[in-house]
Amino acid sequence: MITFLLKRIVYSLLILWGVATLIFLLFNVLPGDPARMLLGQRADEKSLEAIRRDLGLDRPVGMQYLKYLNDLSPLSLHNINVPEHYFYLDTDLYAPFVSLARTGENTRLVLKRPYLRRSYQSGRNVSAIIGETIPNTFILATAAIVFATITGLIMGLAAALRKGTWLDHAALFFSAIGMSLPSFFAAILIGWIFAYLLGDITGLNLTGNLYEIDDFGEGRHLMLKNLILPAFTLGIRPLAVITQLSRNSLLEVLSQDYIRTARAKGLHSARIIRKHALRNSLNPVVTAVSGWFASMLAGVIFVEYIFGWKGLGYIMVEALNQYDLPLVLGCVLTISIVFIVINLLVDMVYSWLDPRIRIGGD
Amino acid sequence: MNRNNNTCILRVQDLTVSFGPSHKPVVSGLHFELHRGETLGLVGESGSGKTLTGLALLRLLPPGAHVVRGSILLYPGTPEEKSITRLNEEEMTAIRGRHISMVFQEPMTSLNPSMRCGHQVAEALAIHSSLTPRQIREEVLHWFEEMHLPGPGRIYHAYPHELSGGQRQRVMMAMALCTRPAVLIADEPTTALDVTIQQSIIRLLKNLQEKYRPGILFITHDLGLISEIAGRLAVMQEGMLAEQGPLADVLKEPKHPYTKGLLHCRPVYTRQPVRLPTVREFLEKGKVEPEERREEDQISKRQQIYSSPPMLVIKDLKTWFTRRKGWKKETVRAVNRVSFEVYRGETLGLVGESGCGKTTLGRSLLNLVHAQSGQILYSGVNTLEIKGKALKAFRRKFQIVFQDPYSSLNPRITVGETIMEPMRVHGLSGNRISRQRKMYRLLEKVRLDPSHAGRFPHEFSGGQRQRIGIARALALEPEFIIFDESVSSLDVSVQAEILNLMNQLKEEFGLTYIFISHDLSVVKYMSDRVLVMKNGKLVESGEAEELFRNPKEQYTRELIRSVPGQSMPVQLF
Repeated sequence: MITFLLKRIVYSLLILWGVATLIFLLFNVLPGDPARMLLGQRADEKSLEAIRRDLGLDRPVGMQYLKYLNDLSPLSLHNINVPEHYFYLDTDLYAPFVSLARTGENTRLVLKRPYLRRSYQSGRNVSAIIGETIPNTFILATAAIVFATITGLIMGLAAALRKGTWLDHAALFFSAIGMSLPSFFAAILIGWIFAYLLGDITGLNLTGNLYEIDDFGEGRHLMLKNLILPAFTLGIRPLAVITQLSRNSLLEVLSQDYIRTARAKGLHSARIIRKHALRNSLNPVVTAVSGWFASMLAGVIFVEYIFGWKGLGYIMVEALNQYDLPLVLGCVLTISIVFIVINLLVDMVYSWLDPRIRIGGD
Repeated sequence: MNRNNNTCILRVQDLTVSFGPSHKPVVSGLHFELHRGETLGLVGESGSGKTLTGLALLRLLPPGAHVVRGSILLYPGTPEEKSITRLNEEEMTAIRGRHISMVFQEPMTSLNPSMRCGHQVAEALAIHSSLTPRQIREEVLHWFEEMHLPGPGRIYHAYPHELSGGQRQRVMMAMALCTRPAVLIADEPTTALDVTIQQSIIRLLKNLQEKYRPGILFITHDLGLISEIAGRLAVMQEGMLAEQGPLADVLKEPKHPYTKGLLHCRPVYTRQPVRLPTVREFLEKGKVEPEERREEDQISKRQQIYSSPPMLVIKDLKTWFTRRKGWKKETVRAVNRVSFEVYRGETLGLVGESGCGKTTLGRSLLNLVHAQSGQILYSGVNTLEIKGKALKAFRRKFQIVFQDPYSSLNPRITVGETIMEPMRVHGLSGNRISRQRKMYRLLEKVRLDPSHAGRFPHEFSGGQRQRIGIARALALEPEFIIFDESVSSLDVSVQAEILNLMNQLKEEFGLTYIFISHDLSVVKYMSDRVLVMKNGKLVESGEAEELFRNPKEQYTRELIRSVPGQSMPVQLF
């Protein structure tokens, strides 16, 4: 188990390095000038130069890349004396860090927090921006997936156990609709119906965040009801898929030989379903749920945009529009980490569900 | 309850099972009785309705199948008499596993993969007894001991995939017997197991029957096996009872031509007919006198084969795999320094239990899996070193027919195309028209209707598909064909026809065969010489007749002895 984890961590670091490199390359290949984006069309050449120097964009690409990796890596080189040097780490920006070893006359190997730099646009620390948006996305994604999983499992299992009845047909019909409904369309439709047409009855807002500053500018208020519409919209598709998956999976498991064995043993059907069928039918559902959850955490661009929900997807779109390299990079790395961690958790859940793929073996 | 010896505990009358009114019944008018402590063998080929009969007794018929007529009485004529067909579902669950238990064929798929073995057995006791959890646990461990399972405590906590096939089947048997049912239905319980393990399971079952005296309904296709355990025999043919009677009577003087056919179409140790008689011939003519091979013919044939130098010389062949077990690597010595020769015109038998490396050896010979080291010399050239064109030419001369006639044919390609494809790949037989003509000839050769060339594999039966596989191998006019368990999944009646076909084609085209099988009697019938393999090594080799008469190695002796049916007075072997 420990070797398994170590291996996964090494793989993950390689993946993150690859992602960071790719983004960096894309930003250097694609047309566009962050300085111009920052100052606007009518800025003079002098201020553009100043901004470029400030952002480090005037240096050779290779140097930029090295500096950029040095900033990201928790283990990095630090030139203690020369502020102009590439590996000079400004104590204000990078603190706290711990010196680990002397690697040269002026350089030290230091341990620090990964530094994601400042947003070109707002000048704020990227980690702070992401830190603010992640809880929003996380709450939205969790609410959506919990809603989808619970409802989907109940519907799917009920449909499987009542196969061929009106309940089964209804579940299949609605899941087909849910699967074919594009999320941007569903978002607009649901927002329009429940927040606009029925707004007086439901009392729901068309857009809004979890915390809102009230009209008088006093304090932040928790607005849980703002979660309802985006979470529901976001949950529709996974709900549809989970319904179908759990239905088909349970039906398949129920046709297995060991279910016949359990019946031959004299078990009642309720116990057969509870003890023998459910656990064995959950595997594909876990795959679906986790994949979906991961991609939701990666930001659900349309839904967040339409409901004005300030999540990871929302700020990433804005950052892309503005050529805000540090912010885009911060978002993408965060998303990669989310995917990696969730996949790791899923592997562990699998091995609990199905002892045949138990990690590590004997 | 009257539980004296020999009371009738199960009476089946006029049992008829059908998949709906428009279908022909799959079981029709079946009747039999089962007595306490006796074993009734229910024998038949696939599709004869024997398994459905077993399931009908527990009311576990697959969806769509119904008992349309007849009665099934448990404990007939006693105050506890129960009519299985009339009970409601609630009453039926109290019967299942308590009064009637069942052991299924596939011990891997019949156990829940995500539940510990001990718990699966304990479950049966929990619902059918009033024992405390601790007592249940002790009882389960007791039954694991009864099953001679090594380390009952370990088995209790093991998951099914951690056990061997034989151990799983013992767990299944513990599950079925721990409630001490009156009736045990055993549906091909040993078919998926190796012969030596099969033998020990049968012995165990017999001992347990003496101790706990259940009536056993033993369902099987294997007449040899059933002769080891059953007291009476019921033979089913296409859903109907062909005949029923005491074991010795049925085997010695079978009345129904179908039974005669079944008995005679199997190759046995003692008889060496030129052609195996087939069930069809018995059904058509009622009586068949197969012509025995003549000793002098055999001798001259052998002299002719072995006077010329060998066609293939295999030296020190080594095929090892590395397999991941969790995160540890493990070397599997599938073929471990094997040396032997193959002579032109012979059939070389290759026997051994599953996992002994016989399939890997066959595939290594054709370069289908890569051998680490060693030599395969074919007319002086080491075929392991050739590449490109030379390899292609070599592959053309060496063909293989696989075990599974279902998965080894591409379901989306017509059989005609399947047979023509290798000719096209190798650029043989001129243009498309002449290839087509040849394909029709080949279909005729393997006794298939050439007009069926446009059909797809699923439209053919297992035996017919194996004929297609043979036709495909013949398409390239090979010198040498490897049959890898090619008849193992077929019914005995079909098997006889395919074996006859193989021998006939061999004569006609002057072929050389390697015949790989776990079935010793088939190997003996087919082969001139036999190699015995164990754990990747050759244990023994020799002329077939001699090897079976005087096996030198302990392992060979065990293998030969474990072939079921040798204790029978009848000449089953």
